[in-house]
Amino acid sequence: MSDDRLLDIWFHRPATPTGTAAARRLGIVVGGSLSEGLRVKLDQNTVVEGMAVGRYVVIHGQTGRRFFSIITDVALDAINPAIEKTPPDTSDRFITQVYQGITTFGRLKVTPMLVLDEGSQEPRPVKTVPAHFSAVYEASEEDVSRVFGAADEQHFYVGTPLDMDNVRVHLNLERFVQRSSGVFGKSGTGKTFLTRTLLAGIIKQGVAVNLVFDMHNEYGWESEGEHRYRVKGLRQLFPGQVSVMTLDPESSQRRGSKVDFIIRIGYDQIEPEDVELLAPLMGLTDVQVGALYFLRRRLGRAWIERLLAEGEAETEGPGELEQILDEGKLHGGTLGAIQRKLGMFRRFDFLQPHVSVDVVGKIMEYLDRGMHVILEFGRYGSTLEAYILVANYLTRRIHERYVQRKEAALGRKGEEPRPLVITIEEAHKFLDPAIARHTIFGTIARELRKYNVTLLIVDQRPSGIDEEVMSQIGTRVTALLDNEADIRAVFTGVSGAGELRQVLARLDTRQQALILGHAVPMPVVVQTRPYGPELYAEVGHEEGEDLQSKLERNVALLRGEQVEGFD
Amino acid sequence: MEIEVGRVIRSSTTRFTVGCRVLQPQVPVFGALVKARAGVEIYGLIYDVRMEDDPFLRQIATVDDLQPEYIEDQRHNRQVPIEVGVLVVGYRHNGEIYHWLPPQPPLSLDVIHTCGPEECVAFTRQFDYFRLVLESRDLPADELLAAHLRYAAQVRGKDKDSFLLDAGRELARLLAMDPIRLDALLGRIRP
Repeated sequence: MSDDRLLDIWFHRPATPTGTAAARRLGIVVGGSLSEGLRVKLDQNTVVEGMAVGRYVVIHGQTGRRFFSIITDVALDAINPAIEKTPPDTSDRFITQVYQGITTFGRLKVTPMLVLDEGSQEPRPVKTVPAHFSAVYEASEEDVSRVFGAADEQHFYVGTPLDMDNVRVHLNLERFVQRSSGVFGKSGTGKTFLTRTLLAGIIKQGVAVNLVFDMHNEYGWESEGEHRYRVKGLRQLFPGQVSVMTLDPESSQRRGSKVDFIIRIGYDQIEPEDVELLAPLMGLTDVQVGALYFLRRRLGRAWIERLLAEGEAETEGPGELEQILDEGKLHGGTLGAIQRKLGMFRRFDFLQPHVSVDVVGKIMEYLDRGMHVILEFGRYGSTLEAYILVANYLTRRIHERYVQRKEAALGRKGEEPRPLVITIEEAHKFLDPAIARHTIFGTIARELRKYNVTLLIVDQRPSGIDEEVMSQIGTRVTALLDNEADIRAVFTGVSGAGELRQVLARLDTRQQALILGHAVPMPVVVQTRPYGPELYAEVGHEEGEDLQSKLERNVALLRGEQVEGFD
Repeated sequence: MEIEVGRVIRSSTTRFTVGCRVLQPQVPVFGALVKARAGVEIYGLIYDVRMEDDPFLRQIATVDDLQPEYIEDQRHNRQVPIEVGVLVVGYRHNGEIYHWLPPQPPLSLDVIHTCGPEECVAFTRQFDYFRLVLESRDLPADELLAAHLRYAAQVRGKDKDSFLLDAGRELARLLAMDPIRLDALLGRIRP
């Protein structure tokens, strides 16, 4: 052994100074295709257990191109299939070592995603495959950083790739809000945390205004994380930029959430279209839905109030309803069923016979000022009917105003409404194939950013969402899903991403997500950044301790104990 | 240290036979690497050591009460030589070692020597000659290769294990389709 080597052992000199040169060779490409992914035979010294789906590799092609690829499967293989029937004596270390990597070896399936031409710095989508026997290397941190860019006005740090703690994956938020996006994952996989992080990013970068239908009161004010520590709400992180409205002021008060506005909706403001979306939930048949429109025409704006009133007091003289029945336009049973089913509205305190304030106008006013609106549902969050009714009611009208404004802006330039992102939870209830075609959410998802309104849908059962809507989702942020149908649904409309299914099904249950689509240059599995003090600090929020220490420092300065650093 | 084994009595491109008088403790041994020094150096592995009988030997074998002196005399002054079979596994020309068959076989009466440790190490640095051995189906090829590898490992001293591992891996590659043969062979060279 040379003296140098000895010294290296004692003083542990890093093998090579630069990241690229140190990249470890894993194996060679032995076959495959662009559509189905490449097959890679691992080198003898590559430990198959060290591989993981979702990691990146770089393939050095023959023409100097570098193919960024993602591992989508890891497999064991043998030259001779008979070895499965007559395995060697593995108690003998020598025999095991001989076999390893020669007659039996590891295989990877990798899907090429981007290609970097020789001498170029800008990765492009891949349109070809590297030649046979091209060497496959572990992607270095430098490689991955190059692909995911640096943090700037549009890019927001969302996490680190698997096993690369020093690399940051940045989401292009401008692209993220250009199209509807989705956050998916089984319950308990951190959808809410992910969504909160994304919303914080959107607010910080100011790429759009948010309207959040906050089913479980998790976004506005402090709430409890799964590990029972308290996390800050968006209003706390962005004082003065986020406004919280509520349907249930008592609940907000109990939780100490400061509320700017209490939402009240008048019966006379509800249209049959608002109720139609509830049909599957309320058990309204097609005939009954048709009857709703008829009743609205006959009874006028106060239709619901009158239906509910007559349902209660049948002793009154023959009203218009009797008349309708007499005319034979409506079956008595149908009317009775409608009255019974609408009776649920009485339990919703936020619904009142008459409301003088224009709720939609109020929300629009906030949004126009660039304020982000979070609508807390309080106790109504557990009532899906209330959630859907209100979300649909508001969204329909806000969208309508956006359409009007946008069209007006097309005439006279410069008055475009701010891009709006509407966050809905339990999205499959809104975007069910049976109703998605008729609802405003289906329309918004389909028309992309034509009218500056996009959706951020948060859901645990993407298979329940209309396929056409799913195919229009630009960016998908997906935590663990294990139901086959859900996994399939997430990849609807993503070309060549079928190979990523394995990756998705193998995510950790916590803090890991697969991001693919419009806002990232290639699919990426990230260890999501924690929603905590570091993020608070990045978005400009100062913790109590920081403020305290600042105060002390300033006091010291005023007393002349310190010279510099007044803040 | 090179020891003379004997002289070539029959030869062909793939094998040759060496005649020698007496068995010394170290020479000739099964699996040893030997070379014929004639223009190009031809390397071979000893795959067989054969002692033929002769009429006098047959007679003497039946004698009762055979004196040790007779036995010694018969062993040292043989009528027919001991025949040593050598499988050609390569040659050296202008200092380069080639692991394939030489253009010409050794000539009759060429002297055959054993190879010293350094030469043995130099020859076994590559394993391309394995196939020449493994494909000689009429010979105890596996035994021959195993004996040769054990010897080649021994002369390497402390690098013995890594040498055997590399050789084993090459064998695994060549015999991948015949796991039972591979197993038996690996069992013979296991350190």
